[in-house]
Amino acid sequence: MPLIRSSPTKPPSPQEGTETIERDLEHGTDDQRWDAARAAAQLPDGLRLLRRAMFVERDPRIREAILTSLARIGTPECAEAVLPDLRSDDSRLRAAALDALRAMPAAAAVHLPALLHDPDPDVRLLACDLVRGQPAAAAGQLLADVLARDREANVCAAAVEVLAETGGPNVLPLLEQCAARFPGDPFLAFAIRVAGERLGAQP
Amino acid sequence: MTEPAQVTKEEFRRLAEFLYRRTGMVFTESKRYFVERRISDRMAATWHASFSEYFAHLRSGAQSEVEHLINAFTINETYFYREDHQLECMSKDLLRERTLVKPPGDTIRIWSAPCSTGEEPYSIAIWLLENWRQVDTYNIEIVGSDIDTRVLKAAAEGIFGKRALMRLSPDLVARYFHPLDEERWQILDDLRLSVRFSRVNLIETKETRLEGRFDVIFCRNVLIYFDDESRRVAAENLYDSLLPGGYICLGHTESMSRISPLFEVCRFSNAIVYRRPREKIA
Repeated sequence: MPLIRSSPTKPPSPQEGTETIERDLEHGTDDQRWDAARAAAQLPDGLRLLRRAMFVERDPRIREAILTSLARIGTPECAEAVLPDLRSDDSRLRAAALDALRAMPAAAAVHLPALLHDPDPDVRLLACDLVRGQPAAAAGQLLADVLARDREANVCAAAVEVLAETGGPNVLPLLEQCAARFPGDPFLAFAIRVAGERLGAQP
Repeated sequence: MTEPAQVTKEEFRRLAEFLYRRTGMVFTESKRYFVERRISDRMAATWHASFSEYFAHLRSGAQSEVEHLINAFTINETYFYREDHQLECMSKDLLRERTLVKPPGDTIRIWSAPCSTGEEPYSIAIWLLENWRQVDTYNIEIVGSDIDTRVLKAAAEGIFGKRALMRLSPDLVARYFHPLDEERWQILDDLRLSVRFSRVNLIETKETRLEGRFDVIFCRNVLIYFDDESRRVAAENLYDSLLPGGYICLGHTESMSRISPLFEVCRFSNAIVYRRPREKIA
Protein backbone atom coordinates (compact mmCIF):
# COMPACT_ATOMS: atom_id res chain seq x y z
CA MET A 1 0.00 0.00 0.00
CA PRO A 2 1.50 3.38 -0.98
CA LEU A 3 0.20 5.11 2.11
CA ILE A 4 2.85 6.10 4.62
CA ARG A 5 2.67 7.40 8.13
CA SER A 6 5.18 9.77 9.69
CA SER A 7 5.71 11.40 13.04
CA PRO A 8 4.89 15.03 13.64
CA THR A 9 7.59 17.26 12.27
CA LYS A 10 9.94 19.15 14.52
CA PRO A 11 8.59 22.69 14.62
CA PRO A 12 10.89 25.48 13.50
CA SER A 13 12.61 27.26 16.34
CA PRO A 14 10.11 29.68 17.76
CA GLN A 15 10.88 33.33 17.53
CA GLU A 16 11.19 34.60 21.03
CA GLY A 17 11.93 37.92 22.58
CA THR A 18 11.35 41.46 21.54
CA GLU A 19 14.85 41.95 20.19
CA THR A 20 14.72 39.00 17.78
CA ILE A 21 11.27 39.85 16.52
CA GLU A 22 12.10 43.54 16.20
CA ARG A 23 15.25 42.72 14.24
CA ASP A 24 13.40 40.32 11.95
CA LEU A 25 10.56 42.77 11.38
CA GLU A 26 13.01 45.43 10.26
CA HIS A 27 15.73 43.49 8.47
CA GLY A 28 14.50 39.94 7.94
CA THR A 29 13.73 38.08 4.74
CA ASP A 30 10.12 37.96 3.57
CA ASP A 31 9.50 34.78 5.54
CA GLN A 32 11.24 36.10 8.65
CA ARG A 33 9.19 39.31 8.55
CA TRP A 34 6.01 37.26 8.08
CA ASP A 35 6.87 35.08 11.09
CA ALA A 36 7.89 38.08 13.16
CA ALA A 37 4.71 39.98 12.33
CA ARG A 38 2.67 36.99 13.45
CA ALA A 39 4.73 36.45 16.60
CA ALA A 40 4.57 40.11 17.64
CA ALA A 41 0.97 39.70 18.78
CA GLN A 42 2.27 37.66 21.72
CA LEU A 43 4.72 40.28 22.93
CA PRO A 44 3.90 42.73 25.73
CA ASP A 45 5.13 45.58 23.54
CA GLY A 46 3.92 44.06 20.28
CA LEU A 47 1.85 47.13 19.49
CA ARG A 48 4.95 49.33 19.34
CA LEU A 49 6.68 46.98 16.90
CA LEU A 50 3.63 46.52 14.76
CA ARG A 51 2.91 50.25 14.54
CA ARG A 52 6.42 50.86 13.30
CA ALA A 53 6.17 47.96 10.85
CA MET A 54 2.94 49.42 9.46
CA PHE A 55 4.93 52.48 8.34
CA VAL A 56 7.71 50.64 6.56
CA GLU A 57 6.37 47.30 5.39
CA ARG A 58 5.20 47.23 1.76
CA ASP A 59 4.71 43.50 1.13
CA PRO A 60 0.91 42.90 1.11
CA ARG A 61 1.28 39.42 2.61
CA ILE A 62 3.29 40.69 5.55
CA ARG A 63 1.04 43.72 6.01
CA GLU A 64 -1.82 41.25 6.25
CA ALA A 65 -0.02 39.46 9.09
CA ILE A 66 0.67 42.80 10.81
CA LEU A 67 -3.02 43.69 10.62
CA THR A 68 -4.05 40.31 12.00
CA SER A 69 -1.65 40.72 14.92
CA LEU A 70 -3.03 44.17 15.63
CA ALA A 71 -6.53 42.67 15.60
CA ARG A 72 -5.38 39.98 18.03
CA ILE A 73 -4.07 42.56 20.47
CA GLY A 74 -7.30 44.41 19.81
CA THR A 75 -6.91 47.62 21.81
CA PRO A 76 -8.21 51.00 20.60
CA GLU A 77 -4.55 51.91 19.93
CA CYS A 78 -4.35 48.97 17.54
CA ALA A 79 -7.37 50.25 15.65
CA GLU A 80 -5.81 53.71 15.64
CA ALA A 81 -2.69 52.30 13.99
CA VAL A 82 -4.83 51.01 11.13
CA LEU A 83 -6.91 54.14 10.58
CA PRO A 84 -4.44 56.00 8.32
CA ASP A 85 -4.88 53.27 5.71
CA LEU A 86 -8.56 54.15 5.43
CA ARG A 87 -7.35 57.35 3.73
CA SER A 88 -4.96 55.60 1.36
CA ASP A 89 -5.26 56.12 -2.39
CA ASP A 90 -4.54 52.40 -2.76
CA SER A 91 -7.85 50.52 -2.72
CA ARG A 92 -6.11 47.33 -1.53
CA LEU A 93 -4.80 49.13 1.54
CA ARG A 94 -8.22 50.61 2.26
CA ALA A 95 -9.87 47.20 1.92
CA ALA A 96 -7.24 45.56 4.13
CA ALA A 97 -7.68 48.23 6.80
CA LEU A 98 -11.43 47.83 6.70
CA ASP A 99 -11.15 44.05 7.09
CA ALA A 100 -8.74 44.46 10.00
CA LEU A 101 -11.05 46.91 11.77
CA ARG A 102 -13.94 44.51 11.27
CA ALA A 103 -11.87 41.91 13.08
CA MET A 104 -11.57 44.16 16.16
CA PRO A 105 -15.07 45.60 16.48
CA ALA A 106 -14.74 46.68 20.10
CA ALA A 107 -11.50 48.54 19.40
CA ALA A 108 -12.95 50.11 16.26
CA ALA A 109 -16.09 51.22 18.11
CA VAL A 110 -14.10 53.76 20.08
CA HIS A 111 -13.15 55.55 16.86
CA LEU A 112 -16.47 55.33 15.02
CA PRO A 113 -18.02 58.62 16.21
CA ALA A 114 -14.95 60.54 15.02
CA LEU A 115 -14.78 58.61 11.76
CA LEU A 116 -18.43 59.35 11.06
CA HIS A 117 -17.64 63.06 11.49
CA ASP A 118 -14.46 62.93 9.42
CA PRO A 119 -14.06 65.79 6.90
CA ASP A 120 -13.39 63.21 4.16
CA PRO A 121 -16.69 61.75 2.92
CA ASP A 122 -14.91 58.60 1.71
CA VAL A 123 -13.80 57.90 5.26
CA ARG A 124 -17.32 58.53 6.55
CA LEU A 125 -18.64 56.13 3.94
CA LEU A 126 -16.24 53.38 5.03
CA ALA A 127 -17.13 54.10 8.65
CA CYS A 128 -20.78 53.39 7.87
CA ASP A 129 -19.72 49.94 6.71
CA LEU A 130 -17.81 49.39 9.95
CA VAL A 131 -20.93 50.22 11.94
CA ARG A 132 -22.44 47.02 10.54
CA GLY A 133 -20.33 45.01 12.98
CA GLN A 134 -21.51 46.89 16.06
CA PRO A 135 -24.34 45.77 18.36
CA ALA A 136 -27.70 46.59 16.79
CA ALA A 137 -28.69 49.33 19.25
CA ALA A 138 -25.38 51.19 18.99
CA ALA A 139 -25.35 50.81 15.22
CA GLY A 140 -28.87 52.22 14.98
CA GLN A 141 -27.92 55.31 16.98
CA LEU A 142 -24.77 56.00 15.01
CA LEU A 143 -26.51 55.64 11.66
CA ALA A 144 -29.56 57.64 12.70
CA ASP A 145 -27.21 60.51 13.40
CA VAL A 146 -25.65 60.13 9.93
CA LEU A 147 -29.06 60.16 8.25
CA ALA A 148 -30.05 63.27 10.18
CA ARG A 149 -27.02 65.44 9.49
CA ASP A 150 -24.53 64.18 6.88
CA ARG A 151 -24.42 66.47 3.84
CA GLU A 152 -23.21 63.83 1.40
CA ALA A 153 -25.88 61.74 -0.27
CA ASN A 154 -23.41 58.89 -0.85
CA VAL A 155 -22.62 58.66 2.86
CA CYS A 156 -26.32 58.63 3.68
CA ALA A 157 -26.82 55.91 1.06
CA ALA A 158 -24.13 53.83 2.76
CA ALA A 159 -25.90 54.32 6.09
CA VAL A 160 -29.21 53.36 4.50
CA GLU A 161 -27.71 50.16 3.12
CA VAL A 162 -26.48 49.09 6.55
CA LEU A 163 -29.72 50.08 8.24
CA ALA A 164 -31.68 48.07 5.68
CA GLU A 165 -29.82 45.04 6.89
CA THR A 166 -29.52 45.69 10.60
CA GLY A 167 -32.52 47.90 11.39
CA GLY A 168 -36.21 47.35 11.91
CA PRO A 169 -39.44 49.17 11.00
CA ASN A 170 -38.63 51.79 13.65
CA VAL A 171 -36.07 53.39 11.33
CA LEU A 172 -38.65 54.08 8.58
CA PRO A 173 -39.31 57.67 9.78
CA LEU A 174 -35.56 58.34 9.74
CA LEU A 175 -35.38 57.17 6.17
CA GLU A 176 -38.24 59.45 5.18
CA GLN A 177 -36.59 62.44 6.86
CA CYS A 178 -33.34 61.70 5.09
CA ALA A 179 -35.10 61.43 1.74
CA ALA A 180 -36.66 64.84 2.38
CA ARG A 181 -33.17 66.34 2.87
CA PHE A 182 -32.08 65.22 -0.61
CA PRO A 183 -35.13 65.74 -2.82
CA GLY A 184 -33.10 65.90 -6.03
CA ASP A 185 -31.00 62.77 -5.59
CA PRO A 186 -32.55 59.85 -7.51
CA PHE A 187 -30.01 57.25 -6.33
CA LEU A 188 -30.55 57.99 -2.65
CA ALA A 189 -34.30 58.08 -3.21
CA PHE A 190 -34.06 54.64 -4.83
CA ALA A 191 -31.90 53.26 -2.00
CA ILE A 192 -34.31 54.59 0.60
CA ARG A 193 -37.33 53.20 -1.23
CA VAL A 194 -35.77 49.73 -1.46
CA ALA A 195 -34.72 49.84 2.21
CA GLY A 196 -38.18 51.04 3.19
CA GLU A 197 -39.81 48.15 1.33
CA ARG A 198 -37.51 45.66 2.99
CA LEU A 199 -37.92 47.05 6.48
CA GLY A 200 -41.63 47.68 6.05
CA ALA A 201 -42.15 44.04 5.21
CA GLN A 202 -41.18 43.15 8.78
CA PRO A 203 -43.83 42.90 11.49
CA MET B 1 -39.08 17.12 9.75
CA THR B 2 -41.38 20.15 9.54
CA GLU B 3 -42.75 21.65 6.33
CA PRO B 4 -40.45 24.16 4.61
CA ALA B 5 -40.89 27.72 5.90
CA GLN B 6 -42.74 30.22 3.73
CA VAL B 7 -40.03 32.72 2.87
CA THR B 8 -40.55 35.47 0.31
CA LYS B 9 -37.91 36.25 -2.26
CA GLU B 10 -37.02 39.46 -0.43
CA GLU B 11 -36.83 37.70 2.94
CA PHE B 12 -34.61 35.02 1.46
CA ARG B 13 -32.32 37.71 0.07
CA ARG B 14 -32.05 39.40 3.47
CA LEU B 15 -31.38 36.11 5.22
CA ALA B 16 -28.73 35.17 2.65
CA GLU B 17 -27.10 38.57 3.12
CA PHE B 18 -27.20 38.21 6.89
CA LEU B 19 -25.63 34.75 6.80
CA TYR B 20 -22.97 35.88 4.37
CA ARG B 21 -22.02 38.84 6.56
CA ARG B 22 -21.98 36.81 9.73
CA THR B 23 -20.51 33.55 8.55
CA GLY B 24 -19.23 33.81 4.99
CA MET B 25 -21.68 31.12 3.93
CA VAL B 26 -23.12 31.75 0.49
CA PHE B 27 -26.70 30.78 -0.33
CA THR B 28 -28.18 31.51 -3.74
CA GLU B 29 -31.79 31.06 -4.85
CA SER B 30 -30.86 27.58 -6.03
CA LYS B 31 -30.42 26.55 -2.40
CA ARG B 32 -33.72 27.99 -1.28
CA TYR B 33 -35.35 24.63 -0.52
CA PHE B 34 -32.31 23.48 1.46
CA VAL B 35 -32.39 26.71 3.46
CA GLU B 36 -36.15 26.74 4.02
CA ARG B 37 -36.10 23.21 5.41
CA ARG B 38 -33.57 24.13 8.04
CA ILE B 39 -35.21 27.43 8.85
CA SER B 40 -38.45 25.54 9.49
CA ASP B 41 -36.71 23.24 11.93
CA ARG B 42 -35.18 26.17 13.79
CA MET B 43 -38.48 28.07 13.83
CA ALA B 44 -40.15 25.05 15.40
CA ALA B 45 -37.33 24.66 17.92
CA THR B 46 -37.52 28.32 18.96
CA TRP B 47 -41.31 28.58 18.92
CA HIS B 48 -41.53 31.22 16.20
CA ALA B 49 -44.62 31.07 14.01
CA SER B 50 -43.42 33.20 11.11
CA PHE B 51 -40.16 33.65 9.31
CA SER B 52 -40.08 37.39 10.03
CA GLU B 53 -40.37 36.73 13.78
CA TYR B 54 -37.65 34.14 13.61
CA PHE B 55 -35.40 36.41 11.55
CA ALA B 56 -35.84 39.21 14.10
CA HIS B 57 -34.82 36.72 16.81
CA LEU B 58 -31.81 35.67 14.77
CA ARG B 59 -30.70 39.26 14.19
CA SER B 60 -31.24 40.28 17.79
CA GLY B 61 -27.77 39.06 18.58
CA ALA B 62 -28.78 35.77 20.12
CA GLN B 63 -25.45 34.19 19.27
CA SER B 64 -26.53 30.72 20.21
CA GLU B 65 -29.27 30.86 17.60
CA VAL B 66 -26.79 31.82 14.90
CA GLU B 67 -24.72 28.82 15.94
CA HIS B 68 -27.77 26.55 15.96
CA LEU B 69 -28.65 27.68 12.46
CA ILE B 70 -25.10 27.19 11.20
CA ASN B 71 -25.15 23.73 12.74
CA ALA B 72 -28.35 22.97 10.89
CA PHE B 73 -26.61 23.87 7.64
CA THR B 74 -23.34 22.11 8.26
CA ILE B 75 -23.45 19.37 10.85
CA ASN B 76 -25.18 16.52 9.21
CA GLU B 77 -24.01 13.06 9.99
CA THR B 78 -20.66 12.90 8.33
CA TYR B 79 -20.16 10.00 5.95
CA PHE B 80 -17.71 8.53 3.48
CA TYR B 81 -17.32 10.23 0.09
CA ARG B 82 -19.20 13.31 1.29
CA GLU B 83 -18.82 16.10 -1.30
CA ASP B 84 -16.98 13.65 -3.52
CA HIS B 85 -16.74 16.25 -6.28
CA GLN B 86 -13.86 17.68 -4.24
CA LEU B 87 -12.23 14.26 -4.01
CA GLU B 88 -12.53 14.01 -7.76
CA CYS B 89 -11.00 17.45 -8.11
CA MET B 90 -8.13 16.32 -5.89
CA SER B 91 -7.27 13.24 -7.95
CA LYS B 92 -7.98 14.81 -11.33
CA ASP B 93 -6.61 18.33 -10.96
CA LEU B 94 -4.87 19.15 -7.68
CA LEU B 95 -2.49 16.21 -7.61
CA ARG B 96 -1.77 16.61 -11.32
CA GLU B 97 -0.56 20.12 -10.49
CA ARG B 98 1.37 19.02 -7.42
CA THR B 99 3.15 16.20 -9.24
CA LEU B 100 4.45 18.71 -11.77
CA VAL B 101 6.78 19.96 -9.03
CA LYS B 102 7.37 16.62 -7.28
CA PRO B 103 9.28 13.73 -8.83
CA PRO B 104 7.96 10.16 -8.57
CA GLY B 105 8.94 8.63 -5.26
CA ASP B 106 8.40 11.88 -3.43
CA THR B 107 5.74 12.25 -0.73
CA ILE B 108 2.34 13.87 -1.23
CA ARG B 109 1.00 15.12 2.10
CA ILE B 110 -2.74 15.61 2.64
CA TRP B 111 -4.35 17.06 5.75
CA SER B 112 -7.94 16.66 6.87
CA ALA B 113 -8.68 19.29 9.50
CA PRO B 114 -11.03 19.01 11.24
CA CYS B 115 -11.35 15.29 10.61
CA SER B 116 -14.12 14.50 13.11
CA THR B 117 -14.52 10.71 13.45
CA GLY B 118 -12.31 9.93 10.48
CA GLU B 119 -14.68 9.58 7.54
CA GLU B 120 -12.91 12.29 5.56
CA PRO B 121 -9.27 11.16 5.87
CA TYR B 122 -10.23 7.53 5.23
CA SER B 123 -12.34 8.65 2.27
CA ILE B 124 -9.31 10.47 0.88
CA ALA B 125 -7.23 7.32 1.25
CA ILE B 126 -9.80 5.05 -0.40
CA TRP B 127 -10.50 7.54 -3.16
CA LEU B 128 -6.82 7.82 -4.05
CA LEU B 129 -6.29 4.07 -3.98
CA GLU B 130 -9.26 3.65 -6.28
CA ASN B 131 -9.03 6.67 -8.56
CA TRP B 132 -5.55 8.14 -8.77
CA ARG B 133 -3.48 6.42 -11.43
CA GLN B 134 -0.18 7.57 -9.95
CA VAL B 135 -0.98 6.21 -6.54
CA ASP B 136 1.86 3.69 -6.71
CA THR B 137 4.48 6.17 -7.86
CA TYR B 138 4.27 8.49 -4.86
CA ASN B 139 4.27 8.05 -1.12
CA ILE B 140 1.03 9.40 0.26
CA GLU B 141 0.80 10.66 3.80
CA ILE B 142 -2.62 11.46 5.20
CA VAL B 143 -3.07 13.23 8.54
CA GLY B 144 -6.39 13.81 10.27
CA SER B 145 -6.58 16.46 12.99
CA ASP B 146 -9.30 17.74 15.24
CA ILE B 147 -9.59 19.78 18.42
CA ASP B 148 -11.82 17.13 20.03
CA THR B 149 -9.88 14.20 21.47
CA ARG B 150 -13.03 12.08 21.74
CA VAL B 151 -13.64 12.11 18.00
CA LEU B 152 -9.95 11.48 17.39
CA LYS B 153 -10.12 8.32 19.48
CA ALA B 154 -13.11 7.15 17.45
CA ALA B 155 -11.32 8.04 14.22
CA ALA B 156 -8.30 5.96 15.18
CA GLU B 157 -10.55 2.99 15.96
CA GLY B 158 -12.12 3.32 12.52
CA ILE B 159 -15.45 1.69 13.33
CA PHE B 160 -18.45 2.91 11.35
CA GLY B 161 -22.16 2.23 11.03
CA LYS B 162 -24.34 1.75 7.97
CA ARG B 163 -25.16 5.40 7.50
CA ALA B 164 -21.52 6.42 7.39
CA LEU B 165 -20.92 3.90 4.61
CA MET B 166 -24.07 4.66 2.60
CA ARG B 167 -22.20 6.32 -0.30
CA LEU B 168 -19.73 3.47 -0.71
CA SER B 169 -20.47 0.57 -3.03
CA PRO B 170 -20.72 -2.91 -1.47
CA ASP B 171 -17.56 -3.75 -3.35
CA LEU B 172 -15.63 -0.91 -1.70
CA VAL B 173 -16.98 -1.83 1.72
CA ALA B 174 -15.93 -5.45 1.17
CA ARG B 175 -12.42 -4.44 0.12
CA TYR B 176 -11.62 -1.82 2.75
CA PHE B 177 -13.66 -2.88 5.81
CA HIS B 178 -14.29 -5.98 7.80
CA PRO B 179 -17.62 -6.52 9.55
CA LEU B 180 -17.68 -6.51 13.34
CA ASP B 181 -21.38 -7.40 13.48
CA GLU B 182 -24.49 -6.66 11.42
CA GLU B 183 -24.37 -2.93 12.13
CA ARG B 184 -20.68 -2.06 12.35
CA TRP B 185 -17.65 -2.26 10.09
CA GLN B 186 -14.03 -1.50 10.85
CA ILE B 187 -11.50 -0.11 8.38
CA LEU B 188 -8.86 -2.70 7.54
CA ASP B 189 -5.79 -2.36 9.73
CA ASP B 190 -3.43 -1.65 6.82
CA LEU B 191 -5.48 1.40 5.94
CA ARG B 192 -6.42 2.35 9.48
CA LEU B 193 -2.85 2.40 10.70
CA SER B 194 -1.60 4.35 7.73
CA VAL B 195 -3.58 7.45 8.65
CA ARG B 196 -2.17 9.45 11.55
CA PHE B 197 -4.52 11.38 13.82
CA SER B 198 -3.52 14.34 15.97
CA ARG B 199 -5.10 16.98 18.17
CA VAL B 200 -4.77 20.42 16.62
CA ASN B 201 -6.51 23.71 17.28
CA LEU B 202 -6.49 25.59 13.99
CA ILE B 203 -6.05 28.95 15.67
CA GLU B 204 -2.98 27.84 17.63
CA THR B 205 0.04 28.49 15.44
CA LYS B 206 2.34 26.32 17.55
CA GLU B 207 0.00 23.36 17.08
CA THR B 208 -0.55 23.75 13.35
CA ARG B 209 3.20 24.12 12.75
CA LEU B 210 3.82 20.75 14.39
CA GLU B 211 2.13 19.09 11.43
CA GLY B 212 4.49 20.52 8.84
CA ARG B 213 3.45 21.58 5.35
CA PHE B 214 0.97 19.89 3.05
CA ASP B 215 0.20 19.62 -0.63
CA VAL B 216 -3.57 19.59 -0.07
CA ILE B 217 -5.66 20.56 2.95
CA PHE B 218 -9.31 19.74 3.42
CA CYS B 219 -10.74 22.25 5.88
CA ARG B 220 -14.48 22.05 5.46
CA ASN B 221 -17.18 23.78 7.45
CA VAL B 222 -15.14 25.00 10.37
CA LEU B 223 -13.98 28.54 9.58
CA ILE B 224 -17.59 29.69 9.57
CA TYR B 225 -17.71 29.07 13.31
CA PHE B 226 -14.90 31.50 14.04
CA ASP B 227 -15.22 35.22 14.60
CA ASP B 228 -13.40 37.53 12.20
CA GLU B 229 -10.23 37.69 14.27
CA SER B 230 -9.92 33.92 14.77
CA ARG B 231 -10.76 33.34 11.12
CA ARG B 232 -7.86 35.56 10.05
CA VAL B 233 -5.49 33.73 12.40
CA ALA B 234 -6.72 30.33 11.17
CA ALA B 235 -6.35 31.42 7.54
CA GLU B 236 -2.75 32.48 8.20
CA ASN B 237 -2.04 29.20 9.99
CA LEU B 238 -3.48 27.28 7.05
CA TYR B 239 -1.40 29.36 4.67
CA ASP B 240 1.68 28.44 6.71
CA SER B 241 0.63 24.79 6.61
CA LEU B 242 0.57 24.68 2.81
CA LEU B 243 3.57 24.21 0.58
CA PRO B 244 3.85 27.01 -1.98
CA GLY B 245 1.42 26.04 -4.73
CA GLY B 246 -0.52 23.79 -2.33
CA TYR B 247 -4.32 23.74 -2.27
CA ILE B 248 -7.00 24.12 0.34
CA CYS B 249 -10.57 22.85 -0.07
CA LEU B 250 -13.32 24.49 1.97
CA GLY B 251 -16.98 23.52 2.44
CA HIS B 252 -19.30 24.19 -0.48
CA THR B 253 -20.86 27.25 1.16
CA GLU B 254 -17.57 28.80 2.28
CA SER B 255 -15.37 31.35 0.54
CA MET B 256 -11.74 31.99 1.44
CA SER B 257 -11.80 35.17 -0.63
CA ARG B 258 -13.94 36.77 2.02
CA ILE B 259 -11.61 35.68 4.82
CA SER B 260 -8.15 36.39 3.48
CA PRO B 261 -6.42 37.80 0.39
CA LEU B 262 -3.48 35.45 0.90
CA PHE B 263 -4.83 32.71 -1.38
CA GLU B 264 -5.55 32.48 -5.10
CA VAL B 265 -8.92 31.25 -6.27
CA CYS B 266 -8.67 28.22 -8.58
CA ARG B 267 -11.71 27.14 -10.55
CA PHE B 268 -11.58 23.53 -11.67
CA SER B 269 -14.35 21.59 -13.39
CA ASN B 270 -15.45 19.86 -10.19
CA ALA B 271 -14.74 22.42 -7.50
CA ILE B 272 -13.53 25.86 -6.57
CA VAL B 273 -10.49 25.60 -4.33
CA TYR B 274 -7.83 27.99 -3.04
CA ARG B 275 -4.09 27.93 -3.56
CA ARG B 276 -1.14 29.31 -1.70
CA PRO B 277 0.66 31.32 -4.38
CA ARG B 278 3.86 29.84 -5.71
CA GLU B 279 5.48 33.25 -5.45
CA LYS B 280 4.78 36.03 -2.99
CA ILE B 281 1.84 38.31 -3.76
CA ALA B 282 3.00 41.09 -6.08
